[in-house]
Amino acid sequence: MNGWQMGVGRIIKKTNCLIPIVAILCLVSTQSTGDEISFTSDVRPILAAKCFNCHGFDAGSRQGDLRLDRRDEAEYVFSGAGDTALFWERINSDDLEFRMPPPESKEALSLEEIEILNQWLSQGSPYEEHWAFRAPVRPTVPLVESEAIRNPIDSFIRARLIKQGMTPSNAADPVTLARRLSQDLHGLPPAANVVEEFANQSSDKAYSDLIDVLMASPRYGEHMAVPWLDAARYADTDGYQNDRYRYMHVWRDWVIHSLNENMPYDQFVLEQVAGDMLPDATLKQQIATGFCRNHRINSEDGSIPEEWHVENVVDRIDTIGTAILGLTVGCARCHDHKFDPISAKEYYQLFAYFNNVPEWGVGPNNGNSPPFIEVPKSWPNLSEDENVAILPAPLKLREARKGQMGNGLKRPQAGSPQTVMVMHEMKVPRATYLLMRGQFDSPDKSELLTPGVPKVLLSSLAAQPQSRLQFAQWLVDRENPLTARVAVNRVWQQIFGMGLVKTSENFGTQGELPSHPELLDWLAVELIESGWDIRHIQKLILQSTTYRQSSETTPAREKEDPENRFLARAPRYRLHAFALRDSLLASSGLLVEKIGGIPAKPYMPPKIWRAISNNTYKQGTGDDLYRRSVYTFWRRTIPPPMMVNFNSADREVCIVRKDRTNTPLQALTQMNNIAFVEAARFLAERMIEHSVDPRIAIEFGFISLVSRKPRKAELILLLDAYSEFEKHYRAQPKAAKALLSVGQKKRNENLELTEHAALTMVASLLMNLDEAVTRE
Amino acid sequence: MKPDHSEILERCRTAVNRRFFLGRAGLGLAAINGLMGSPGRLMGSEIPVKPGVDDVPHFQPKAKRIIYLFQSGGPSQLDLFDPKPELKKRFGQEVPKSIYPDERKTTMSNAQSQFATSPSVFKFNRCGKSGLELSELLPNVGQMADHLCVIRSMHTQAINHDPAITFMQTGAQIPGRPSMGAWLNYGLGSETENLPAFVAMSSRGSGKGGQPIYDRLWGSGFLPSIYQGVKFRNQGSPVLDIYDPAGVDPNVRRTMLNYLGKLNEMKFQSTGDAEIRTRIAQYELAGKMQASVPELLDFTQETRATMEMYGKDVGRQGSFAFNCLVARRLAERGVRFIQLFHQGWDQHVNLPTQIRRQCIDTDQPTAALMQDLKSRGMLEDTLIVWAGEFGRTVYSQGTLSPRNYGRDHHGNCYSVWLAGAGIRGGISYGATDDYSVNVVENKLEPHDLNATILQQMGIDHERLTFPFQGRDYRLTDVHGRVVHDILR
Repeated sequence: MNGWQMGVGRIIKKTNCLIPIVAILCLVSTQSTGDEISFTSDVRPILAAKCFNCHGFDAGSRQGDLRLDRRDEAEYVFSGAGDTALFWERINSDDLEFRMPPPESKEALSLEEIEILNQWLSQGSPYEEHWAFRAPVRPTVPLVESEAIRNPIDSFIRARLIKQGMTPSNAADPVTLARRLSQDLHGLPPAANVVEEFANQSSDKAYSDLIDVLMASPRYGEHMAVPWLDAARYADTDGYQNDRYRYMHVWRDWVIHSLNENMPYDQFVLEQVAGDMLPDATLKQQIATGFCRNHRINSEDGSIPEEWHVENVVDRIDTIGTAILGLTVGCARCHDHKFDPISAKEYYQLFAYFNNVPEWGVGPNNGNSPPFIEVPKSWPNLSEDENVAILPAPLKLREARKGQMGNGLKRPQAGSPQTVMVMHEMKVPRATYLLMRGQFDSPDKSELLTPGVPKVLLSSLAAQPQSRLQFAQWLVDRENPLTARVAVNRVWQQIFGMGLVKTSENFGTQGELPSHPELLDWLAVELIESGWDIRHIQKLILQSTTYRQSSETTPAREKEDPENRFLARAPRYRLHAFALRDSLLASSGLLVEKIGGIPAKPYMPPKIWRAISNNTYKQGTGDDLYRRSVYTFWRRTIPPPMMVNFNSADREVCIVRKDRTNTPLQALTQMNNIAFVEAARFLAERMIEHSVDPRIAIEFGFISLVSRKPRKAELILLLDAYSEFEKHYRAQPKAAKALLSVGQKKRNENLELTEHAALTMVASLLMNLDEAVTRE
Repeated sequence: MKPDHSEILERCRTAVNRRFFLGRAGLGLAAINGLMGSPGRLMGSEIPVKPGVDDVPHFQPKAKRIIYLFQSGGPSQLDLFDPKPELKKRFGQEVPKSIYPDERKTTMSNAQSQFATSPSVFKFNRCGKSGLELSELLPNVGQMADHLCVIRSMHTQAINHDPAITFMQTGAQIPGRPSMGAWLNYGLGSETENLPAFVAMSSRGSGKGGQPIYDRLWGSGFLPSIYQGVKFRNQGSPVLDIYDPAGVDPNVRRTMLNYLGKLNEMKFQSTGDAEIRTRIAQYELAGKMQASVPELLDFTQETRATMEMYGKDVGRQGSFAFNCLVARRLAERGVRFIQLFHQGWDQHVNLPTQIRRQCIDTDQPTAALMQDLKSRGMLEDTLIVWAGEFGRTVYSQGTLSPRNYGRDHHGNCYSVWLAGAGIRGGISYGATDDYSVNVVENKLEPHDLNATILQQMGIDHERLTFPFQGRDYRLTDVHGRVVHDILR
């Protein structure tokens, strides 16, 4: 039944009932600003939230044959405009049976929403195409007269601040800037001499040079890799049930090396999606495709391989959708997307690109799953001969439990720690069908699907990519509306803590609109035209006056812009979990810097893996305990609790955005965790070795952690704390000894016990300072 | 429009700070909001600190808290809750394909040459005044039968542990969604100052093997991470890093916290970032937790009678009995969602021996917990849920003998039970066919069970939603119906 047309005749007799509502609306409208209603920012969010569920793109759930996502399909409800349009009547009626949305949908419109829609109707109900589905065009840089404008970023940001009536902040002091750059580019505090040198010069040239020096260090790639590893759901185990080992660290190192070489982003994407299919592919390009194999693999006894094979392919598409395209394509797995114009059929056309891997839906239950290749021992320093793509060994199936009657499960051969999983194409592609409701066992065999990308994203001239390689090329094509925007947004997010599009995982119609749409597009075009040079974009940001502002704030400023979307000040936020641990280890002198290799096993709570049967975490010794966190062994089902405590992604699926919490569990970890107590001990050693005078020693420790000298009042408090600790441990040598035995590394026995213990507590106190773990 | 992620966090944070500035309440309630749950409903407070879901509860709740006794591995409905005495006559006969088609047999047994009917070796007794039929393996729980509502008609699509348990706890087989406790925490907030709003614990029974227990089962999925459960570890320090390191006594810690607070306050004065105030509060709360958690686990104030009621394992950390007593103590201290995960029900072979041991471990403590709550007047407003992730096959996995058999995973039917707050006691609900293979009456999916659980907490499962990736998600996805027939 057509619910929309059904009630037309009845509206007349209901007209008088509308009067009270109209009266209320008049009150509301007097408060509105009188600005033109924007379809994109005002109307579409309401339609999407309240109407599209039944009147959207998804034909399966569409009611009354009406779709409101397109103006041309809904002409009859808008004809007449203003309060004579059927649409107006249906949303304004007080007849509950007639009114839209129907009460049983629990999606009632608020008075404010009704008023917006009414105004829009009176403007003739114009539609606009979704902004993110049009390829970015370089916008004009606004003219802003100010000496503070260093590059177009500042122009866009200042222009908006002026519009908001907000004043920008002064520049941060040089010490803060040097620290900020080091934290943003390395995830580590700067060395004291670097800060001092920079503070003495403090010219634009020195600033620019400092950026270059930091970008040239291998620490850059180790830090920059983290968000990509989260997005790529990189881990050292399979996930699921017994969560067995896999070996993908070679791929992880490929990412770090690529970032350190500043590989252009288009190449970075191309090689990870289809490096194996490039003409004359190198081994490194083949290894890059591990990106598409980082998904979990189920090895549970009893699993049905066909079912889990589908999940592998789904995960590839979801990951590329989120990480590269900023789209929630996964919604279209079971039905046409409710909000974005992606049909279920189009979803399975994407599926077809990734469905031709000679893989088995169930894993070997320890080790890499085919296809995998042997990595030369010389990795990553491959000779020219070695750096050639090789054919993965073919899939070999065996009975899962030989001799056990009735067990029908077959498993593939397992790849050793010297292998890495890669992509490979089957000679004859698998047949791809639409899976009804997303179920592996309900293919719609009436139509064999060819690969293809959703029409809405394909520029009108382009042909459908035929292969995975062509798909990868399409991803990084100049005309792709999303890839460059999503990439620069993530760069922005990593530096400012929040993207220009806050929902960095969703640029679709349900995502948030960009705070500075023109700036986003300007950066996206700049990225493409610079040859997809990510460092170029980063450097533009870092050099801007916007970036260099102070992060100091006041309640008034906070109230003006609580989320700091307009950037009238620099953001101030707690470090990422990895950077937090690494920074404290670095200040203590314990951090061991060595690029890549097999995962490290730092301190974990005892018997951490016992919840998974027959599994022991064999903690590392020596250097293994103090490597950068990016190398920590990542067990998906029990990720390192310290990291999870500080909001690191769990690496089960693609994650491009995490919230930042501030909790007592974090306080407990920073105060009591063995790793941090040990770090405090060794910072104390460095302090004593620096000076026997507690005042100088404490000053040194303070600088090591927060890069600046303590203020007088701070130093007085710290000295008071020291003398209290000193008194305590003088009376309790046993306690001092116990404290100085926390952790594996032996203390320097030549140091005086009481002093060392007391300074250890001071060091711990310093490590727990807000400033020590904050980027400001 | 509903608030999104960071708005909610922001409101949460602002609420924390507002409380902090008021000072009078000290740091307790305010600070707890940061981690331990969303800001609680403050008695008599004029400050609306509830973030996110303003309209929860949607109606008068029957339950103030939930104790969820999750039985991991797939307990056999045939040997515990779903009596099929007639099956004795069909011992060893092939289970007809019309009853059990091949498609949903797991690959662990689908290639067997035969699927022999294996009736339970255990007797079923009529228990309590109601005469509810329960296995002889559950004599103690049997004494509480008049409180129990046994649902015999559960059905799940999953046939393997990981997807099935993830489905039960998060409403989806594929990981990534928030757990039920996280949803409740998000919706209802915290009632306690010194403990997490959502606590999970695990234990392993004497039954052989145990399925893994994952962090995601109490995780917050796409909800802000403040809503995730805190897992009490079952050996050593129950909360990670709760104890001071060796050589640091409470005085040293206090000294350290005092100076830390002063230094952080100075930093706040110079930068104006309210987040610093939150951090100061969180450190104070951490200090409080360092006292409250050990107190929670200190059983010295429990009477001897109480300890004996829970059985011989009650003193052993990591046992089901120990966790049951902790559950009661958490309930008394205002923790809203307490979840026990007990491993060891995955009995593919030697089921009669294994399940007997498993029941010895769990039957007495389970009954004791109910009795203990009842005597304190708390059973009335505590919802107890006993459930696994699926059931087991009527055919024997491996060789069948008169006294021995194994059973494979079975999703088409399984049994769970509810008791306490607002639940009709002494009844069974739903029915399976003669083989306990398929549901023939009142089929329920995990979504229906979850909708009913939320209902008892005063939540309309269709209205507790969170915006993520462009749509409003809920625990029951687009499914679920409340089973009013089992509610008082």
